[in-house]
Amino acid sequence: MYENQNRNETMKVGLFIPCYINAVYPQVGVASYKLLKSLGVDVDYPLDQTCCGQPMANAGFENEAHGLAKRFDRLFGQYDYVVGPSASCVVFVRDHYGNLLAEESHRCATEEKIYDICEFVHDVLKPASLRASFPHKVSIQNSCHGVRLMHLSSPSELNVPYYNKLRNLLSLVEGIEVVEPERPDECCGFGGMFAVEEHAVSGQMGRDKVQRHIDTGAEYIAGADSSCLMHQNGIISRNNLPIKTIHVVEILASGL
Amino acid sequence: MSTKHSRNAEKFLKDKEQVRWHDQTLWMVRAKRDNMSRQLPEWERLRDMACAIKMYSNSHLDLLLQEFEKNAQANGAHVYWAKDADEYCSIVYNILRAHSVKHFIKSKSMLAEECGLNEFLEEKGVEVVESDLGERILQLMHKKPSHIVMPAIHIKKEEIGELFVKEMGTEPGNNDQTYLTHAARKNLRRKFIEAEAAMTGANFAVASTGECVVCTNEGNADMGTSQPKIQITAFGMEKIVPDRESLGVFTRLLARSGTGQPITTYTSHYRKPRTGGELHIIIVDNGRSRILADKEHVKTLNCLRCGACMNTCPVYRRSGGYSYTYFIPGPIGINLGMLKAPLHYFDNVSACSLCYSCQNVCPAKVDLADQIYRWRQKLDGLSVASSSKKVMSGGMKALMEHPHLFNLALRNASVVNGLPQWMVYNGLNDWGKEHDMPQFAKESFNEMWKKNKIK
Amino acid sequence: MSSREDILQSIRRNTQVRYEKPDLSELEKEAVVYPDKVKQFCDIMKLTGGRAVVVESGDDVNEIIRRQYPEARRIASNLMSIVCLGKEQKLACAAFHPDDVANPGDLDGTDLAIVAGRVGVCENGAVWVQQDVEQRAVYFISEALVLVLDRRNLVNNMHEAYKRIDTGEYGYGVFISGPSKTADIEQALVMGAHGARDVTVLLV
Repeated sequence: MYENQNRNETMKVGLFIPCYINAVYPQVGVASYKLLKSLGVDVDYPLDQTCCGQPMANAGFENEAHGLAKRFDRLFGQYDYVVGPSASCVVFVRDHYGNLLAEESHRCATEEKIYDICEFVHDVLKPASLRASFPHKVSIQNSCHGVRLMHLSSPSELNVPYYNKLRNLLSLVEGIEVVEPERPDECCGFGGMFAVEEHAVSGQMGRDKVQRHIDTGAEYIAGADSSCLMHQNGIISRNNLPIKTIHVVEILASGL
Repeated sequence: MSTKHSRNAEKFLKDKEQVRWHDQTLWMVRAKRDNMSRQLPEWERLRDMACAIKMYSNSHLDLLLQEFEKNAQANGAHVYWAKDADEYCSIVYNILRAHSVKHFIKSKSMLAEECGLNEFLEEKGVEVVESDLGERILQLMHKKPSHIVMPAIHIKKEEIGELFVKEMGTEPGNNDQTYLTHAARKNLRRKFIEAEAAMTGANFAVASTGECVVCTNEGNADMGTSQPKIQITAFGMEKIVPDRESLGVFTRLLARSGTGQPITTYTSHYRKPRTGGELHIIIVDNGRSRILADKEHVKTLNCLRCGACMNTCPVYRRSGGYSYTYFIPGPIGINLGMLKAPLHYFDNVSACSLCYSCQNVCPAKVDLADQIYRWRQKLDGLSVASSSKKVMSGGMKALMEHPHLFNLALRNASVVNGLPQWMVYNGLNDWGKEHDMPQFAKESFNEMWKKNKIK
Repeated sequence: MSSREDILQSIRRNTQVRYEKPDLSELEKEAVVYPDKVKQFCDIMKLTGGRAVVVESGDDVNEIIRRQYPEARRIASNLMSIVCLGKEQKLACAAFHPDDVANPGDLDGTDLAIVAGRVGVCENGAVWVQQDVEQRAVYFISEALVLVLDRRNLVNNMHEAYKRIDTGEYGYGVFISGPSKTADIEQALVMGAHGARDVTVLLV
């Protein structure tokens, strides 16, 4: 059914489920697993994974992320790819583990083989079609780290041709209408502990962002970062706003 | 869990209408910048070259400054070197005193702000007049700039109207921007003509020619320096560029990035003193040479002071310039403040969601967000890290390093039906001020996996 | 030790890696160019808030200037004549030479100044004016400014512009792009902050 299915079976993928997805959005993990399986990938979920260390590091305690990075590196060392449904966590591993673990004698170099799941499907698996159907209008949440660190889409600041990997993937889904908000990649204001330490600014950013998604007429805010979605969901719920959040993977796996 | 910045921001955010205006107005400038950049297919290469020229010039400061000095002296200028703010202020004052200057007119200079020049001179009895309209408004109001390019962006026209009735005799109640601007034009015209000396900063100092280049839209630098015979120009040493070829790169980037114009109205090249006049040039260090040794932060010296990072910063737009404790706000200000005196200015390091937009708009590619990230790592070592953040982070670490504890927490999470203690501690209340709590799943992914529910 | 020596020593001590000077030739090669420079320059001048007027053969420059500035009485210029498309026209509308005044402040109240531009830049409407009078205040203090520019001296971009002025020995030079402006009061754009409120470039 899928052109790459046979080839994909030979790759061993370790599924990385970030801590807050594990606790708050397990359905995103389930969708990730199902999507990868449906594309013929050999997926394994190593137990005992916790957190990649990003929250501590972004808050200024990189040293506290060190032990977690070591654990992570060991836990995922055996796989061809490490794939997780969070652009921000993935790019933290990719950009910082080399430096964090520079002194370690035994290295598995997970930072070189880790992918966000959307990036992995788009760039590595490259399915020509999907079984998914989602007859709704969705507004893409282009997350800062997804856009500016992982290059999932062309950043609005740069003079480069437009592209958007999330849009490309979503357009494989039947019945969907995909739009982007005004100020398409302005920060929603999450930023880890920023949301608590600078709660007033963060809250304003969140309310502004959600409003711009609503202004598109979309029913859903769809993103590759559950953290941005969690933040906006808290805003939506507090203010009773007429929009819902959903992870892109949930849409891609909607027919499974 | 708060910082001076976050508390000031909270106050600023109380006036919803003002915040909306501030955010939208600056976003419009960002949009103009985007539009300008898209008209040049070579835009990204321009930025690369600007960065490369700065990396070259800032790593050859000893040679380029001496070359500049030699050429400037050959042009007939007097060249001075100031180690710090005090020396810079004293040099200016001594020049003014030697010529018995009582009226002194200045165009906008962030270096003068940095060094407290106006206060220094006023204490010595010199009348200092700021000639940039925004700076003049602030000077008359006894306020500080809240943006480095649009200094009075936070002031409403009604306040300016009221001020001008008192200071310039305008009609009460007439707050029309054109009317007020032209009243200031007339008023400052007299000040230009009666001044005995004029001062400017410099956007660029050209080593190969010994000239200083100043960019303005109002023409105030030129009005000032074309009246009195004494001209003083001072610049921070990182303003040096090797040659006019480099000016071709920077003059294309500066206004496009800063205000969304293809170039400033005036790009003035001061090379020689006017006939019968004097040109005094002051090269200022004031901590800059020290930054050269700091590999993690040396790129701040690339900064052109265009203000683009402020306009794009989602935090700056919603918290205003006064929420920062250093005189330069926004992403570049966070970093420059930390380089100046970390123990004084660490409160600004919280003012960043690490969205990285500033890095993408910077015409000289200063790695602004990466640097803020690095500063955060240093706060604990400086003993100024937020204690509650530290508790949160430490709590998370302890938990995350022990999978059985993490799994226990996961199992209990939904029972608590709110964020479990490990994730929030005393941060709980602050999250709750803006958001509802995330609802925890009845079963975590871990549990579902263990129960073989995921197929 | 002098501050100069202190500073230079501190620079030498602290400088880490010395970076190479970049080669700008690729950039200069790919920099924007315009198929019709005159048209582009006229378009961009509008964006700056000023205007460009293309002088056609048979046009009288004095008439063009008077039509544009009918109210101007005190008109300053150091130009005796203007060469339009190979033909010299006497500049008759100017009332005085800017260097006739004793002090630059005496130029206050000048309605119009007519001066020569040397290079015009199509990407941004900037015109290079190189000091050719004693009182350079005249470029700024007049209410309106006419810049006379030979259309053959239009260049595409700033790289080309700096190459053109690179050989000049000058004490002072300025790129002027349209009228003086400010947006310092609530970001409302106002022409005429301190310099000329109105700028016309005469493309001869």
